[in-house]
Amino acid sequence: MTDSKQDQLKPAGIGAGIAKLFSNQSILLVAVILVLGIFFSIQSGGDFAKVMVFNNILTDWGSIILLAVGQTLVVISGGIDLSVGATVSLSSVVSAFVMMNVFKWDGTITGDAATVPLLVGTLIAVLTGAAVGVVNAILINVAKIVPFIATLATLSAAGGLAIIISGGQPLQGPSNFSLISAFGDPRLNPFSFMIIAVIVVVVIAGLFIHKAKLGLYTYAIGSNTFAARGAGINVERHLTKVYVLSGVFAGLGGMYSYIRLGAGSPTSGSGMELYAIAATVIGGASLMGGVGRILGTVLGTLVLYTVQSGLLMINVSPDWKQIVVAILIAGAVAVQGFKFTSKRSK
Amino acid sequence: MNRSLKTMTAVAAAAALSIGFVSAGHAATQTKIAFVMGAEADPFFQAMKVGAQAQATASNVNLVWQGDPSHYDVQTEVPIVDSVISQAPDGLVLIPTDPTGLQASSDKAVAAGIQVANVDTHVADLSKVLTFITGDNGDGGAKAADAIAGAIKYTKGKTYQVVVGLTSKTATTNVARLDGFKAQIAKKYPGIKIKDVAYSASNPQTASSNVNNWLTKYPNLSGIFAIDGTNASGAAAALQSKKLVGKVALVGYDAYPANVALLKKGVFTALIAQDPAAEARLAIKTLVAKIVNGKNPAKRDVVIPNVALTKSTSAANLKKYTYVAN
Repeated sequence: MTDSKQDQLKPAGIGAGIAKLFSNQSILLVAVILVLGIFFSIQSGGDFAKVMVFNNILTDWGSIILLAVGQTLVVISGGIDLSVGATVSLSSVVSAFVMMNVFKWDGTITGDAATVPLLVGTLIAVLTGAAVGVVNAILINVAKIVPFIATLATLSAAGGLAIIISGGQPLQGPSNFSLISAFGDPRLNPFSFMIIAVIVVVVIAGLFIHKAKLGLYTYAIGSNTFAARGAGINVERHLTKVYVLSGVFAGLGGMYSYIRLGAGSPTSGSGMELYAIAATVIGGASLMGGVGRILGTVLGTLVLYTVQSGLLMINVSPDWKQIVVAILIAGAVAVQGFKFTSKRSK
Repeated sequence: MNRSLKTMTAVAAAAALSIGFVSAGHAATQTKIAFVMGAEADPFFQAMKVGAQAQATASNVNLVWQGDPSHYDVQTEVPIVDSVISQAPDGLVLIPTDPTGLQASSDKAVAAGIQVANVDTHVADLSKVLTFITGDNGDGGAKAADAIAGAIKYTKGKTYQVVVGLTSKTATTNVARLDGFKAQIAKKYPGIKIKDVAYSASNPQTASSNVNNWLTKYPNLSGIFAIDGTNASGAAAALQSKKLVGKVALVGYDAYPANVALLKKGVFTALIAQDPAAEARLAIKTLVAKIVNGKNPAKRDVVIPNVALTKSTSAANLKKYTYVAN
């Protein structure tokens, strides 16, 4: 490309500065959240600016972000994990079933007395999620099934198992709603214990993905599998780690759902895989692999739930929610495409 | 052909014939009925399955139980129904997730000579359907309005805010319950205002999220009508986490065991219960009477009453109406 043509493509002056600023997906998403917040606050007559709305958004955010972090890791590796929603259902149900039938902890155990049962339940949920991840890894690495189909199969199997184990019923075991409530400890408001726990998990995951070998190898495989193999990375072993981690995050999401509902429900993860993928894409990850940031995913999930909560607060028909989410996804992909084209033209 | 080969051929032929006779005899005596429901994960359908299986055993019916594992969705139900029709059952019990979306499949079954019964929900045009059996959803909605009015001690001249959590905009049961709820409010409780409705798409976390947002938007909210079991579970969780149990009247639908336990604890003001097992039993009985004896039902549409369960309902009745799974 000639210099004169390049000059024609480059925006000049302040425009160039703004364009550069907004080429950063995270800054763009923060701006989107701010604009949405102002818009919904004005439209709702100030209702949307209440602290409790922030708590509602964060509570919803907590249910998806764990899945979305796992999904981001998988997407960076060049794959996809459709099984995470069903894994949420399965792990919440298995956790409840074991607490109730093996340890004989039932719904009469509430409040602080439920702490130990819920910790044991969390371990069970994580192991259940990891088991689904192992199955995914075997299907992908050993049976050589593409991730889309492999995880579609486990989505179906995990969903079916959740129904068989629960008998289609919510299983009401030990509960402690103070953990998920902004009223649990007023000093934390608008956060709750569970939201803070999720933030800690996400930060640790972010550090591993962006600062440790785990992330480095994942980006390498997602960018170019052949080159990664050539550089000495054991691709199969690393992908196993990626899918097991995705399962572990979904298992944690299952326990989050259990604590939120006070019960293991066979439909608590229904459709959540699509929200996790949407949040990942809105956050700037590329489904082609090799691109994605945890901060982007965190913000992408916040955008989704700001929209969901905001539309309800201004009494917009629920049908519009799907359309707005579709516009957000299309917009995010368009921004990626624009950035890609700009980079290539330089 | 040598002797041993002939013997083997004769034995194989005899075996094939005997299998054929057994199959024919079996087919002649056993009626095959397919039952396609909304979503296997819903305890309502689990309770229905118990009733269907019991009646199938009693009536010597080969029952084919089918449906989506968790999504109450027309897009997943249509291919399941079409696949079941290709198995040529004698009868089909269909719970359409959408009245117009399942019309073509229902008509296709009738054209193939299959007797069709609708249970719980119905296709748009019932003229070719042998029977439609449902709980009285309109009356259930009216009972929910009465329960909320009772809980908030409704007084003429005052205004009250309520909201309604639904699963789907088009499921005929949701629509009928909402219509019944609205009609009763218009008739008896004009001071009650329905401020909003939202959909959970069968996910209790979404239902809980909707209620969380309502509780913030309407700080003076008097009541919530959770129109089915999923919404009831989600709404109960939201009220408990916001520490508003007893302060906001919550009327749910469907007597899941977990919801009945919460009714006893006072989280629900009332639960409107159906009798899904009875609906399934009657559907199979009606189909068998037509297929085997050529007998039409006395009337096509049968409505089984809903009941309002409260904390003061007798233990025997609570047990009777609690949805039992396999």
